[in-house]
Amino acid sequence: MFVNLGWQGMGQGWTQGSQLKGARGQHMQDRECKTGGFVLEVTQLPLAEALKVEGEADPQRTAECELEGVGLAHVSVLFQIRGSRARALPDRALVNCQYSSATFSTGERKRRRHGDRKSCEMGLQLRQTFEAAILTQLHPRSQIDIYVQVLQADGGTYAACVNAATLAVLDAGIPMRDFVCACSAGFVDGTALADLSHVEEAAGGPQLALALLPASGQIALLEMDARLHEDHLERVLEAAAQAARDVHTLLDRVVRQHVRE
Amino acid sequence: SCRTVEPLEYYRRFLKENCRPDGRELGEFRTTTVNVGSISTADGSALVKLGNTTVICGVKAEFAAPPTDAPDTGYVVPNVDLPPLCSSRFRSGPPGEEAQVASQFIADVIENSQIIQKEDLCISPGKLVWVLYCDLICLDYDGNILDACTFALLAALKNVQLPEVTINEETALAEVNLKKKSYLNVRTHPVATSFAVFDDTLLIVDPTGEEEHLATGTLTIVMDEEGKLCCLHKPGGSGLTGAKLQDCMSRAVTRHKEVKKLMDEVINSMKPK
Repeated sequence: MFVNLGWQGMGQGWTQGSQLKGARGQHMQDRECKTGGFVLEVTQLPLAEALKVEGEADPQRTAECELEGVGLAHVSVLFQIRGSRARALPDRALVNCQYSSATFSTGERKRRRHGDRKSCEMGLQLRQTFEAAILTQLHPRSQIDIYVQVLQADGGTYAACVNAATLAVLDAGIPMRDFVCACSAGFVDGTALADLSHVEEAAGGPQLALALLPASGQIALLEMDARLHEDHLERVLEAAAQAARDVHTLLDRVVRQHVRE
Repeated sequence: SCRTVEPLEYYRRFLKENCRPDGRELGEFRTTTVNVGSISTADGSALVKLGNTTVICGVKAEFAAPPTDAPDTGYVVPNVDLPPLCSSRFRSGPPGEEAQVASQFIADVIENSQIIQKEDLCISPGKLVWVLYCDLICLDYDGNILDACTFALLAALKNVQLPEVTINEETALAEVNLKKKSYLNVRTHPVATSFAVFDDTLLIVDPTGEEEHLATGTLTIVMDEEGKLCCLHKPGGSGLTGAKLQDCMSRAVTRHKEVKKLMDEVINSMKPK
């Protein structure tokens, strides 16, 4: 796996990478992972709308995560009080996730209106995933906005979104229980496949999306489509979990490198 | 005076010394980087970074019926999206004022500069033409969005490859040959240069988000290679003398040369080795 950190890497293109072969012919697609921005110091939020932390001009952190062959998702995390004060929870932070897909991200140009079903569903899934991972008790009466923008979709968009959002939240300095690593998996011809591409997803077999907190092995989110015999479930789950753990190794390395710089 | 308490005073102190807080001179642009062809699902794509401001442009080509009053012309449809992802000033929902103004600006640039001859997009007069949907998404907003969008559009259009299409005489259906692709004929290279006006007198080039916020007016000049003016956008704000305008035009000419050099490097890197 090849990791390219920092915005300077952008000019060199995003196609570098090497193939990682999993056990029993489960190939994972090329991965490349970048983070950008700087760490935001977490402070108690003032009532004023604009959050200006000492020395920082913009309380916004972005992270970009590309799982090549899977899709490019750009995520930004905002941390401030905004909107109706009535929605603020007295004991914990509100997590708000919004998913958006670029019109040129799929093979066919699809102009999706804001707030359509797919975006809402994705947003909800992301919110549920991150509510499980973020330590919301530490920031009462505030809102954490996670915006995800998919630039290129080639299968496994949920996984790419979750991985990118994890990096963005970490970059913003928001405390989390653990990394959230996700991967998709499917079952074709008796073999469990990890990290499905668009072509593999379109083939119509059962698909599983798994979001994992790797240290404890706890599953944050598990969604499955189509019919799968329960005998096979364990194998497919294991394939997805192994892939997620591999993603965790990569993300961990990237974050440590970034912090060291 | 502190930067957060009295930003204008803070800026004035720098401007007196003819420089800016980030170390740039008044006529200096931020580091510009461009990356083309990274989105494989799009027919042409480009990512442009002007300092922190990041804009990605994706071009998708589709078939359409030509307009009845011009049966041998295609369409180029731009759209600029400023999502809440790029800055806290934008809310989610329908496009806000700034996004709509930017979209209209790009549409004007395309129309005025004749960047693509619409007749080049014709496949079969009166029956089938290409429509190029150019979607620009801002990924990080730090001022000077118009320059970044114009550059991203230009780079993406230069990256677009259209397959050869023939109309079958017997079935009257279009046959697309994906193996034979050719680049678009980009006729002109419009380059935008934006300025911010401070205290009604001082002009600075390539304003950052903070500078735009403190400015009393803005000006954008779009120039093409023959020194022809494609577009001049000055939405109200403080007045400018003719002489100042001429200074801006000469800076725009220099910027065009800088951008052209970068574009040529990018084009050369695109060519198959």
